[in-house]
Amino acid sequence: MRRTVLGAAALACTAVLASAVPAFADGPSPVSEATVVPSEAAPAPVDATEPSPVPAPVDATEPSPVPAATDSPDRSEAPGEVTVIPSGAPDTGVAAQESTAHGTLIGGGAAAVLAAGGAVFLVRRRRATTA
Amino acid sequence: MTPLSRRAFAAATTAALLTGCGGGHGTPRSTAGHPTGTTPSARSSAKPARALGRSLPVGLEIPAIGVDTPVIRLGLAPDRTVEVPPITADDRAGWYRHSPTPGQRGPSVILGHVTVGAHGDGVFRHLARLRRGDTITARLENGTAAVFAVGDVRTVAKADFPTEAVYGAVDRPELRLITCGGPRSGDEYRDNVIVFAALTSASP
Repeated sequence: MRRTVLGAAALACTAVLASAVPAFADGPSPVSEATVVPSEAAPAPVDATEPSPVPAPVDATEPSPVPAATDSPDRSEAPGEVTVIPSGAPDTGVAAQESTAHGTLIGGGAAAVLAAGGAVFLVRRRRATTA
Repeated sequence: MTPLSRRAFAAATTAALLTGCGGGHGTPRSTAGHPTGTTPSARSSAKPARALGRSLPVGLEIPAIGVDTPVIRLGLAPDRTVEVPPITADDRAGWYRHSPTPGQRGPSVILGHVTVGAHGDGVFRHLARLRRGDTITARLENGTAAVFAVGDVRTVAKADFPTEAVYGAVDRPELRLITCGGPRSGDEYRDNVIVFAALTSASP
């Protein structure tokens, strides 16, 4: 009787551990996340809005029609328009890997089947012993 | 069934339940439906409000889809694309700092993720569910709030991103909310979901 109860408890623990292993293995990788984070800290090597120490010889007051190539923080001051138009489309979605869910599901299912099979085995053995 | 058999089956059931709980760790919550179709283009019927002064956005509320998020500042990535918020569990929206602040005349641009990888849903997970007339409130640094009404929700292929419609100059205060949507290819989405909204009021 006691052996049977202890056997069932050990079986339950085994099932929990079997499910925990694939769950841990599927944890997010810090390396893959780091590659997605945008490089916020890349400062512009040259401040395009900084006035040139050498004055232009002709018509220095005329504003340059060419937009600055750097990401200087003060370019959004002009109201009414986007001062620097980005290229391409924003990448605003990082989908989770499908294999993560599948792997965990398979591991969990296998552990459940193992636990059920063990329980049936214990019951049969007990019945054979008592008969 | 004997008491012993009941104990054995109870142990097996408990094990199976525990297995199911453990197996769910880290699974994404994002398997439920992707953005629903496109809404026909429509101009906002809301009355335009007077433009506000410049004040940086600090928060964004969209009651229709349960969004209440801080707003960070975004610039340009080295490849000249717009930066996006970092991939974190506490996902936030980000205001493109080269666009007008919300309430200023022109298109103010705010971006957010639809999903953030293993962390699950992003702050703009249900952006495509917005409908014309839904309210969007941007909280500003000076304590005021700019209230916008949705005029249009579009789902467009990234390959055909409507740069002029999103970033082009307009003569009234407008807001653009951008995220990803559509079918996925690997870990990327094929489309962008873009919400076009116009300022309706400001408070206080």
